[in-house]
Amino acid sequence: MSASLRDKITVLLTAVFLFGFSVWAFCKPADAVSQSERRPLSSFPAVEQEAVFSGKWMQDFEEYTLDQFPLRDTFRGLKAFSVFSLFGQKDNNQVYLVGNHASRLEFPLDEESLEYAVSRFRRAYELCFQDTDARVFFSIIPDKNYFMAEANGYPSLDYSRLFSYMKENTDFMEYISIEDLLQLSDYYQTDAHWRQEEIVDVANRLGEAMGIPAFSEYQLRRLERPFFGVYHGQSALPLPGETLYYLDSPLLEQCRVYDYESDSYLPVYNMDKAQGQDPYEMFLSGSRSLLVLENPNAKTDRELVIFRDSFGSSLAPLLAHGYASVTLVDIRYLPVERVSQLLEFKNPDVLFLYSTSVLNNSVTLK
Amino acid sequence: MVFSGIPFLYYFLPCALLAYFLAPKKLKNTVLLLFSLLFYAWGEPRYVLLMGISIVQGYGFGLLVERYKGKKGAKVALGLSVFFSLGMLGYYKYADFFISAVNGVTGLSIPLLRIALPIGISFYTFQILSYVVDVYRGQVRAQRNFIDLAAYISMFPQLIAGPIVRYSDIESSLKQRQHSLASASQGIRRFLTGLGKKVLLANTLGELCSLFRESEAPSVLFFWVYAVAYTLHIYYDFSGYSDMAIGLGKLFGFHFSENFRYPFISGSITEFWRRWHISLGSWFRDYVYIPLGGNRVSTGRWVFNALVVWMFTGLWHGAAWTFVLWGLLFAVLLVLEKLVLAPFLEKHKVLARVYVLPVLLFSFVLFDASNAGEALYRIGAMLGLQGLPAVSTEALYYLKSYALLLGMAALGATPLLQKGIARLREKPLGEKLLNAGEPLFLLALLLLSTAYLVDGSFNPFLYFRF
Repeated sequence: MSASLRDKITVLLTAVFLFGFSVWAFCKPADAVSQSERRPLSSFPAVEQEAVFSGKWMQDFEEYTLDQFPLRDTFRGLKAFSVFSLFGQKDNNQVYLVGNHASRLEFPLDEESLEYAVSRFRRAYELCFQDTDARVFFSIIPDKNYFMAEANGYPSLDYSRLFSYMKENTDFMEYISIEDLLQLSDYYQTDAHWRQEEIVDVANRLGEAMGIPAFSEYQLRRLERPFFGVYHGQSALPLPGETLYYLDSPLLEQCRVYDYESDSYLPVYNMDKAQGQDPYEMFLSGSRSLLVLENPNAKTDRELVIFRDSFGSSLAPLLAHGYASVTLVDIRYLPVERVSQLLEFKNPDVLFLYSTSVLNNSVTLK
Repeated sequence: MVFSGIPFLYYFLPCALLAYFLAPKKLKNTVLLLFSLLFYAWGEPRYVLLMGISIVQGYGFGLLVERYKGKKGAKVALGLSVFFSLGMLGYYKYADFFISAVNGVTGLSIPLLRIALPIGISFYTFQILSYVVDVYRGQVRAQRNFIDLAAYISMFPQLIAGPIVRYSDIESSLKQRQHSLASASQGIRRFLTGLGKKVLLANTLGELCSLFRESEAPSVLFFWVYAVAYTLHIYYDFSGYSDMAIGLGKLFGFHFSENFRYPFISGSITEFWRRWHISLGSWFRDYVYIPLGGNRVSTGRWVFNALVVWMFTGLWHGAAWTFVLWGLLFAVLLVLEKLVLAPFLEKHKVLARVYVLPVLLFSFVLFDASNAGEALYRIGAMLGLQGLPAVSTEALYYLKSYALLLGMAALGATPLLQKGIARLREKPLGEKLLNAGEPLFLLALLLLSTAYLVDGSFNPFLYFRF
């Protein structure tokens, strides 16, 4: 190829690309949300004199152009591909892959965070259960990095320190170990959460410690649509969709869930949520500050109170058969002081069930 | 607005190019000026007026200097222009620095002014200074067309991060310039290469530096990884921006001088400064060092001159004592080289590089530090004097993760690749293959850079603060 032809092609290709995407970006209607990232996208900022002269309008416009750029997800995928394949980096935006399993790097261990988590748990215990005959249990759910990180050369939390610290400083609770029952395949490949169909043994160990029968009568049901977890969007890689299973039973079908926030009843498995942005929210309708799972067919009047994060949403139904009611409290959204004002307990079983990720980032606990 | 941003690449640039090439010849400078003002107003709407005042004073005093050439009036006009330019720079960039220094020495508590630094003020002020001085020296004629002078000073390709373009370099291009497919292609090549350097290398190395700063597991290894990453980061950031500026200049028919010539292959610090930020070094040489007497003075006076010039060079980079120290460090090294080391360095090329590279790493650690104490701590940590572990899991992980990128960046900072391409071009088949591959490579650079920009967030250039 001659230098002259090279110059012509260079100018032509660049002009087509620049002007083509420019026209496309100008004309493209704005998208409201990013499905892959599960977040609303910026819209065109209103032109106001003050915003323009302060420079805020320009900043908002920059955000808008980034959010609304044509083929945004394709470009994000290209970037992720080049990070891993061209530059040989081990993570993209802190998300890394081991096989088809994606996870976000989490390190180092933050002992101040553990200390704060313990103080919130202690406060909840003192306000709600100290003067009752409640039996209080505690269990820690290892996040995916527990199985993925160190073994594959990624930096990770000092898990042994985390577990020992939490056990040593929660003497008001009986610790139930579950980490030995879990393995990487018990978690979704593209999400942080565990699979409900893989944690029956975990539920049964917790149930055994609390003195309820094993969860054994259930049907395995599957969601028709593929499940793409939170890391699917964050990694921006073409990771395959997964099958989301859930465990149903006649007993669970007759249970109902009272939601204090909306003052309404919700199903245990919310099929509307299953069709939404995050199908994992089908378990007890996702992030809710205060729920009571009522079991009308209970053969006991025992109550269970679970202080939990999102992992608890898929586990709680597996304990419902042993109780007349299971109260789920998420103190990331509801301060413990409010819990004691809203609820009154009569010697319930209490389970503090938290993932290592939340314990290491406990600033969210109220 | 920055070149390596979606608003510039896909909104501003296509509009500017379209308007520029559609405009009749006599209006091209006006179009360039209007787009330059828009470009500047995008980042600093309030300071467009300040730049406008600076341009007006440069224009007015330039004319006065020429009108009173050889008379006292020329000196007065020059003095007033210099006073105005340095006064603006001093007020907007250095006021708080001087107030802090006075407070520190006297124990007073004069409140700081906390003035936001106008983007690019160091660059356009130096251009105005050099223009008026050159008119005074009779090296250029004063520009009578206000639009042409304003277009030169505010020209967006070099407005906010250089290179410092002398008026004398583009005087003729302001009146008459040629546009051709070949120069457009060269401009695109240079611009996209700079874009790739900035977005793919500098930004990613910058991420590594941020990870180091956020780390709670320091180790000797991590400090070295950071020092190397930061040095390469600042090189690719600034030289990438210069490449983009030179490329854009070419697209609009201007020829800007080179600003970087593989500085890390230098065999001495003296050579380094002939290869690093060339437009700044030559500016200080021509407008400060030589007027002070240069090297045609006694050794004592020459050392003094060197210290003054390099103190100001350091201070130009930022209103902080670390920059003053950074400049003085180079002054000391340059004096040492000239008086003692030069013959040795000339004779021992390998040892010369063993001396230059660590010195540069330490100097950029100082450059990045927020204060001298932090710089000393970091350099001490690199030398194993802070009692830190030699290696940490985190440092090893990031070294492995960024190893290929660091290697590519280090290789790209040498002329090896360029030499290889030149050698390949000497063969007929190689020439054809390179010609065929180049447009695709450039398109891939644009695609990848766009992908990185879309995935990332707003990414300001380091040299904004200068």
